[in-house]
Amino acid sequence: MKRRIFDKIAFSLFTVVMAFSLLGLVLYMDLKDDLPQLPDSLEKINLSLPTEIYSSEGNVIKVLGQRHPVALEEISPRFTQAMIATEDSRFYNHSGVDHIALARAMVRNIQNMRISQGGSTITQQLSKNLFFSFERKWVRKLKELLIALQIEATFSKEEILEAYCNQVYFGSGAYGVEDASLVYFGKRAKDLTLLQAAMLAGLPNSPNSSNPFNNFERAMSRTRSVLKRMTRSNFISPIQMEQALETDLELAPQRIQSNPNQYFVQFVIDKLEREYGKEFVHFGGLKIFTTIDTRLQQYAQQAVTTHMKALDQRMTAGEEDERLQAAVVALENKTGAIRVLLGGRDYAQSQFNRAISNNRMAGSSFKPIVYLTAMEILGISPATLMKDEPVVLEISPGKTWEPKNFSGKYSGDLILKRALMKSLNVVSAKLVYDLTPQRVIKTARQMGITSPLGENLSLALGATGVSPLEMAGAYSVIANLGILNEPYVVERIEDFRGNTLYEHFYFGVQRFSQKSIYPLLDMMRGVVEEGTGRVIRRMGFRHPAGGKTGTTNDYKDAWFDGFTKDLSVSVWVGYDSNASMIDRNGRGLTGGSAAAPIWAYFMKKGLREKSRVNFPVPEGIRFAEVDQTTGFIANSDTRGKMKVAIKNEVVLTLPPSTDSIQGYFPSDDQFTPEPETIEEDVLPEL
Amino acid sequence: MKKAGILGNLNGIVFFVALLVIFSLEIFGKVVERGVGHYLKWENYKRPQLGRIWERDREKIVAQKKIESILSSLNSQEQSSESIQSFKELFEQLNPSVPQMVSRKKFLQLYFEYPEKLSHQIISPYELLEIDSGRDWQRVLLTQFGEWITISFINSQNFPIREVFLSSEGMGENPLSQDIFRGTLEEAGFSSTSILSFADFMRVMKTLDPDAQQKLFPNPQWFFSKNYHVSRVGVKEEADSEVYPAPVRLGVEYQSDFYTEVLMLPVPALISDNLLSQIEIPVYDDDSPEAVSPFGEYPGGMN
Repeated sequence: MKRRIFDKIAFSLFTVVMAFSLLGLVLYMDLKDDLPQLPDSLEKINLSLPTEIYSSEGNVIKVLGQRHPVALEEISPRFTQAMIATEDSRFYNHSGVDHIALARAMVRNIQNMRISQGGSTITQQLSKNLFFSFERKWVRKLKELLIALQIEATFSKEEILEAYCNQVYFGSGAYGVEDASLVYFGKRAKDLTLLQAAMLAGLPNSPNSSNPFNNFERAMSRTRSVLKRMTRSNFISPIQMEQALETDLELAPQRIQSNPNQYFVQFVIDKLEREYGKEFVHFGGLKIFTTIDTRLQQYAQQAVTTHMKALDQRMTAGEEDERLQAAVVALENKTGAIRVLLGGRDYAQSQFNRAISNNRMAGSSFKPIVYLTAMEILGISPATLMKDEPVVLEISPGKTWEPKNFSGKYSGDLILKRALMKSLNVVSAKLVYDLTPQRVIKTARQMGITSPLGENLSLALGATGVSPLEMAGAYSVIANLGILNEPYVVERIEDFRGNTLYEHFYFGVQRFSQKSIYPLLDMMRGVVEEGTGRVIRRMGFRHPAGGKTGTTNDYKDAWFDGFTKDLSVSVWVGYDSNASMIDRNGRGLTGGSAAAPIWAYFMKKGLREKSRVNFPVPEGIRFAEVDQTTGFIANSDTRGKMKVAIKNEVVLTLPPSTDSIQGYFPSDDQFTPEPETIEEDVLPEL
Repeated sequence: MKKAGILGNLNGIVFFVALLVIFSLEIFGKVVERGVGHYLKWENYKRPQLGRIWERDREKIVAQKKIESILSSLNSQEQSSESIQSFKELFEQLNPSVPQMVSRKKFLQLYFEYPEKLSHQIISPYELLEIDSGRDWQRVLLTQFGEWITISFINSQNFPIREVFLSSEGMGENPLSQDIFRGTLEEAGFSSTSILSFADFMRVMKTLDPDAQQKLFPNPQWFFSKNYHVSRVGVKEEADSEVYPAPVRLGVEYQSDFYTEVLMLPVPALISDNLLSQIEIPVYDDDSPEAVSPFGEYPGGMN
């Protein structure tokens, strides 16, 4: 009887052993082709050199793929103890698999009928992090286990622990214990206190929910749990635990996730990825020297934040919680270097880069391109007399268009310069009608605008999508007296040995003659001095400057594009949803009230220490004073004089006798009395 | 019977002992894990490089290859520009999509390598001195936009200190078309009927006014300074040129220490007709006694 029982037990044991061996063999044969090769050294995981992005001042503004691998000796022993106590208390006793933890996890998983508990050792976690996806699958677990066994057979416990500490994720963008120590406590991993070490050791398991920046209480609760485990594992005594809990955690201030350079940085990365490939940018260990001026970028961010806050308070409630957005681009005229590129109010909240997006209508800020084309093709000058009157333009047989001015009023006879200063839609529409849209588009292309432009008369009013970057580029052609410098962001790229891989060269191309551009430049100075852009002067910006406001239908977009001798700056304000910008009083936000103050604030700050530089007057240009309602040379009797810059060959005429002056005079209700009230008169204070 | 029973019990005991030993070895020595681990280690080289760590490794390799390819391309560009021997060669390598860069040293070498009055037509040496006086002139960038060639003298920030514009049209007459050919005039494509001894050429030169003489022939100092000995002179029309009238080229053959070389120079249009009319040489059979140049000597009579 005893013998039979003995035989049965022996047979059962034999069968179980054989069955497990056979199962293991079958599984291995099935999986062996999918098992990855192990590298010669675990240090390989940290060999990637970071790519550094520099500002024009030579400061690092972004590091891609940054890791701070450290040797085990440079990590506080308290941390490794805490890590072992928390993640794998029998780390030094197993060969990759902890039978007890595994059995416990298996029982729990079978009870739950799903993989709810891993029972993974540190080696298994390292195996998973190095090779496998994070899906919870039996097959993946098996492969992970086999590789863990190989890791244990290949590397020492110290090497495994070091590799684990250097690659595990601690939340807040920190990979590796050194980086985590710097992020959370602003100190090196070797200097961690017991409490800090315990907090960090608790993070890999739940890097977001136990993150002290997100939830301090939960993080402390997890820290206490880690300390208890350390006590249980005899790494510390209960007294040491109590003492540690009484110490100050000394948490560092949270890293600001959204910095004002982020839109620019992402623009650079995207551009280089398109040109050279993602691997080159992220794994090349490059030094990328860019054009950004972080001081100016900071001012742009301040200007946007301050003014947007003021506008938010003015806006009507119930805009579905949508916030006004803004974009700013500043180009250095002399070189085309993009010094500022701000694509929105806050990168952390919205990564959409409005500074380079061409989905918003330019509005009247497009008119200088129309006026330049007209002066080039139609031979008119800033002193040419125009008629601002109701007009019906034939688009095609039987189809007409009746352009209206923004104010709904008409000014009658006035010179071209005055028409631009007042941003009259009718005059611009008549010019495009005479020119054809194709000719205007050709000029826009010469000025560097690459977005698709609609071949229709509404181009006169800027009913075409362009980006702030394009507008700044086009305006810099005016500031440069006809020279187009292609906007660029990267000055130089070096590899880690310092070899130059790319360098930018300046290709300034004279697209228009200086004397063709200067009259337009002078007209745009008039916009700032006495026209729709005079808010700039009211806000105390005193440098010689030219510019143009732009407001699209129903106040959907507000622009102010302007330039000084050194910088061309484009500012856009609007809603992403293309909703109208109407304030609590029912007033719409215009280029003058929404965008121009940002421009002025930014330029005042940015050029604070710069001397005022005037625009050089090219040869072949002369100045004359004319009557702004007749275009005749002004004399002592002229009431509305205006100084214009014209080409030498332009012939101005003396006024004839008063009786002979004829022209369109608007009726009383259409006439806009002088001085006009321009909508920009009510200004928000920054 | 008893023996069989003892043996049967013994087998069972041995089996249990074996199991116990294996179990103990596993519990205390982790033999299974170690065995599997070492077997996998032994098989490691056969397995594919899969997973995140290798993917990262591949990306690093791709990045490194890209860097090497850029560096190699830049190096070959640099070597190619350093091996350029004349402005003509430099300009021939230029096309709108590929700007050409030469170092300051190379530019000066090309500038002073040739008879100076021709190089001076690109930029005067005084202007070069002025550019250099800022001590920031590093390189020269040549770019082509349509028919215009821009020579930019750039500083360490790659910003142009001075720009010179040349039209690529009529390059036949351009000073930049000067070149040095290693070989004889005949090898350089000059017809034997338009080759004169230097003495004969000097007779033609004397018929020209001093200004035309200066425009036509390089400064003799250049030959003396390099210890070159002028032997013959040839004139030819660039028949395959698209420009009308076809540019005329003067070839001055000289002997250097080791080679026979020809300095090829453009002939200004105003002088070319006059020159050609005086150098027209009747074509006869080479053996004919009439195959004599208007100046009484056999053309190409130099050895």
